[in-house]
Amino acid sequence: MTETIDRALDRVRVVSWLQRYGVYAAVVVLFAFNAVFTPHFLAADNFRTQLVQVAPIVIVALGMALVIGTEGIDLSVGSVMALAASMVALYLGYGALPAIAMALLAGALVGAAGGVLVAVVGVQPIVATLALLVGVRGLANVFLPQLREFTNPTLVAIGSDSVAGVPIVVLVAVVLVAAVAFLVRRTTFGRQLVAVGGNRTASRLSGLPVRRILLTVYVLAGVLAAVAGVLATSRLQASDPTSLGLFMELSAITAVVVGGTPLTGGRVRVLGTVMGALLMQLLQATLIKHNLPQSWTQMAQAVIILAAVYAARERR
Amino acid sequence: MLRHRAAALLGAAALLVSGCAKSENTATAPEPGGSDAQQQVVESPTGPAGAGCTIARQGATAFDLKTAVVGFSQSEKEANPFRIAETQSIKDEAAKLGIANLKVTNAQSQFAKQISDVQQLIAQGAQLLVIAPLNSDGWEPVLQQAAAKKVPIITIDRKINARHCADFLTFIGSDFVEQGRRAADQMIEALGGKGKVAILLGAPGNNVTTERTQGFKEQVAAKAPDIEITFEQTGEFAREKGQQVTEQLIQSNPDIDGIYAENDEMALGAVTALKGAGKKAGDIKIVSIDGTRGAVQGIVDGWIFGVVESNPRFGQLAFATAQKFLDGEAIPEKVIISDREYDAANAEASLGQAY
Repeated sequence: MTETIDRALDRVRVVSWLQRYGVYAAVVVLFAFNAVFTPHFLAADNFRTQLVQVAPIVIVALGMALVIGTEGIDLSVGSVMALAASMVALYLGYGALPAIAMALLAGALVGAAGGVLVAVVGVQPIVATLALLVGVRGLANVFLPQLREFTNPTLVAIGSDSVAGVPIVVLVAVVLVAAVAFLVRRTTFGRQLVAVGGNRTASRLSGLPVRRILLTVYVLAGVLAAVAGVLATSRLQASDPTSLGLFMELSAITAVVVGGTPLTGGRVRVLGTVMGALLMQLLQATLIKHNLPQSWTQMAQAVIILAAVYAARERR
Repeated sequence: MLRHRAAALLGAAALLVSGCAKSENTATAPEPGGSDAQQQVVESPTGPAGAGCTIARQGATAFDLKTAVVGFSQSEKEANPFRIAETQSIKDEAAKLGIANLKVTNAQSQFAKQISDVQQLIAQGAQLLVIAPLNSDGWEPVLQQAAAKKVPIITIDRKINARHCADFLTFIGSDFVEQGRRAADQMIEALGGKGKVAILLGAPGNNVTTERTQGFKEQVAAKAPDIEITFEQTGEFAREKGQQVTEQLIQSNPDIDGIYAENDEMALGAVTALKGAGKKAGDIKIVSIDGTRGAVQGIVDGWIFGVVESNPRFGQLAFATAQKFLDGEAIPEKVIISDREYDAANAEASLGQAY
């Protein structure tokens, strides 16, 4: 009798530990595996490669985590990256900074459009942002029908230079992670965001500016996606609105969910999201470095997502 | 209220964007697809002698191309050099021949749309169809309608799985296995027959990928057993994916000597990755397939060793074949076109002809 209770308690304890630290544990395990079995894994170059590649996903996933925290979802992020890429190409004639500013503005506008649809018109987030996913990709292709290379030194430097050995792309991601973590944990807006996600009716009744909060969250997600688009573009040294950011929304949602943020809203785990993205990156790197077929990556990702969702289910 | 304001704002933004855009000053590239010097040449009309398709067998009544309604159905949006050059070549050749009634559709990579596109072309009275099919299978509804009206169909760059003459007139395209073999020949030359090679595969589940891989591997196995293929990962025919996979590759396999990219975009992604890793031009030999301007420029710059062309300029050959058919000649099931090759010797001179 006591034994069963003990075992049940153990089980609860294990599951709750897994929820909280599972993604960290998985990253550590995968890291250790690679350290032993993958040649040239413990090298500065390798860490740089992995971090540079994961940076855009992390940045998009931050925005996605905020939106999911309000019990929403933003499927338009990949298309916003493409739009940012086309803006960069269109405005590079004025210099790198104006081009980047236009890209971010475009991201904010798409975010605002999504926010208005969700907060004011009352369209379900998945439907509203699905429309934007299709429409904004089309818009990006109208602005720039095909890949265009550029040589602007500032933009190329953003994509390939390092400060004190850390690539600029990674630095930007680190700063944004810190900013979003601060926003969620230390600011009124962060509390309000989580409250809206937890119980929208109660939030409205207690006088929170629900519409404004939702609008702001979607704008933030749009801007973050645009930042990711600019970084990815500067790394590629070419604007490619046709294929940049394809399926990015799925990678971002995966990172958020694997990181332990529930899709039901009311909670945002910033570091967990970063770890979720890192786990997926590391997994893909492992399989590529061991020259395994891509279908293996997809199946392994599916297993991890299922495990994360299972752990989340046990919470209630 | 807020809704109207947002709509107005979006409208204003769109105006702003289209109004004062100013892109980076790059050397203006000549329009792709025009050059006569680059028109396709028939490599080998294949098929058993006497089995060709004549107008009598097919059942159509002869018509004048100039006054006929001709339909062209493009599969993917013209967002990459190949598709741009392909569509342009059809349009240019039609204009040159004085074909007044060319109708062009684009399926935007959606197969259902391509089927309805072609059905509409038939409904509009198309007497000749030139199709760049997205898929090889699933064409029965179109084929039935076309057969009922005896409309000859020429497919370009990809095949349709159907009966020669009864369903379609001919297929004009490249031999992808042969392209792979020629890429292997270039790689063997680049490495002096010895070394470790990585393959950046195309999109999985695509006959172009399979055949370009098959040709390359067969040729390497037959001619240079000392070349070892140690790595093959998909770059999905995209530049960004090619870059990311190459970054992983050179980090974990620093002893790699050559990279075979199954299209130019992945090769250019690989070049960006090599530059980022501090390699010098020529440290790792890159061979690719397509013949886009960017890749040929890559040869001039020393980053790419060689490129096997996949010729997109189907216009002349397609309409010449149609004319032969109307004149009563027998048309074979397949018309394989000849693809050129670019290397350090001819890249600079041929740059203007790359698409």
